[in-house]
Amino acid sequence: MSRILRWGLGLLLAAGLVLGAFLLLPFQSWLPGGTVGGISTGKVVNGTAFNRLFPSPQPGETLVFTQEKRGFSEARLKRASSTKALLAISDTITAPEARSKFSASQEQVKGWPLVEQGPQASALLVEDRFQVKVIAQGVGLDAEQRHELLGDFDLQGLAALNPEHRAGRRAAKALPASRSQPVSLAPQPAPERADDAVSPVMEPAA
Amino acid sequence: MSTVLERLDHLPRRNLTVLALKGIGSLVPGGWQNLTSADALIAEVMGTDDPQLISQVRQRADTLSRARHEGYGRALSLYDAVNRSQKAAGGLRVLANIGGALPLVKNLTNLTPTSDSLQAVDLSLKVAAEMLAFTQVNGLPGDSFADFAAALNEYGGEARVRMAALVCFDALLPLGDQALERLDGLLGSVGRGELKQLPAYGAMASLIPGRGDEAHLNFLRQGVSHWLGWAGGFVQGLGLTGQKAVKALESTIGPWQGGFEQLATFLDAFTDTYQHTGVQAVARRLVERAAAEI
Repeated sequence: MSRILRWGLGLLLAAGLVLGAFLLLPFQSWLPGGTVGGISTGKVVNGTAFNRLFPSPQPGETLVFTQEKRGFSEARLKRASSTKALLAISDTITAPEARSKFSASQEQVKGWPLVEQGPQASALLVEDRFQVKVIAQGVGLDAEQRHELLGDFDLQGLAALNPEHRAGRRAAKALPASRSQPVSLAPQPAPERADDAVSPVMEPAA
Repeated sequence: MSTVLERLDHLPRRNLTVLALKGIGSLVPGGWQNLTSADALIAEVMGTDDPQLISQVRQRADTLSRARHEGYGRALSLYDAVNRSQKAAGGLRVLANIGGALPLVKNLTNLTPTSDSLQAVDLSLKVAAEMLAFTQVNGLPGDSFADFAAALNEYGGEARVRMAALVCFDALLPLGDQALERLDGLLGSVGRGELKQLPAYGAMASLIPGRGDEAHLNFLRQGVSHWLGWAGGFVQGLGLTGQKAVKALESTIGPWQGGFEQLATFLDAFTDTYQHTGVQAVARRLVERAAAEI
């Protein structure tokens, strides 16, 4: 066998082994990355930006921040030593499936769609990007109190964090009229909602 | 690699570790619940038994714990490293104790002394692991130092039994009731050689801030001196002493005839309290996040 053929066969075998190892063995955990949903951390809004948007606590209550990561910030609302609720803001870019539940939403708070998740949790989607959530703990809060808390977040400040929003389209921000309204808890008829608030929000993303 | 919630599901429901923690839990107001079901934890946080919601939270939690950048897995490997080191050291000391009773191998006992300073380094490594795990799991919550201190306090309150176990098993029993006062002096006399003797250090070295053993020792000393302020108040508030800890342990494990130090050695060698409570603490924070993100 000629020398070149031997070398060629050897290299081919080596390349095949390396390729097979990467495809078949669980090498993924050794590779760089390892971010949530494979989305680079640079694209996710940092949790530090969310901290100042939390509602300020009522007298007798304290707000204790418990977690802050990329795309997530969470605090506990405490009265005396018992936890009443978990408050959180998250960037849904790493969890697009979380957005789908809002398409069936019937209610709104300050113009943003609202859904209930079980008897203790309420969630709000701001700018089709950020999820604000209140999860009552123990016998913490009823639905109405949760909605009020959601409205107390600085939702306007949160909407301004959307990078797509900042990139341009500032002129198209005709929406705030509905945001400056007081908390609207009553379910609104679906067609009206579509014209009124939701479609302008959807526009920048589309 | 198994996720945090899988590990929670596989925690033992009844063994020596659980009994020891139950015993220590009786010293702390509120006691201790052995949480070994991820579904029950999710149901508690979400306040519902809806299987669809529970499976959504679970899925999200698994995604988060698989992402290495999020630090949940890293926190668990910190706890594992400390646990392995504790078991190895404890096992050696148990062997030495048994060896001490046999005339021929009596000399061996001199080889594995559980010197106080080594015990002090071990404790400081555990405290450091606790702090590093805290930042891995929770990030640096809040905007100011006061926020961060409040977050630490909150965590301390949640992890009371865990901290009580740390104080009792690694400070009061092996080092005596004045352990916290002595700790600073003991750590001051520790050199690089003693640090290197602990296997946990090897596993943790890359995660400890600073370069080189000297910088790491400084970090450990500083970490412990911060922790001491909190632990001192904690011990006083609960009135913890070695005697009390032994009594509490006897209520679940059974009567103990030997000395305090031997009990500490025995617990080091045969229980995984640190790892057990560590998995539970990380799982709770993870579920709280996943519940907010679904």
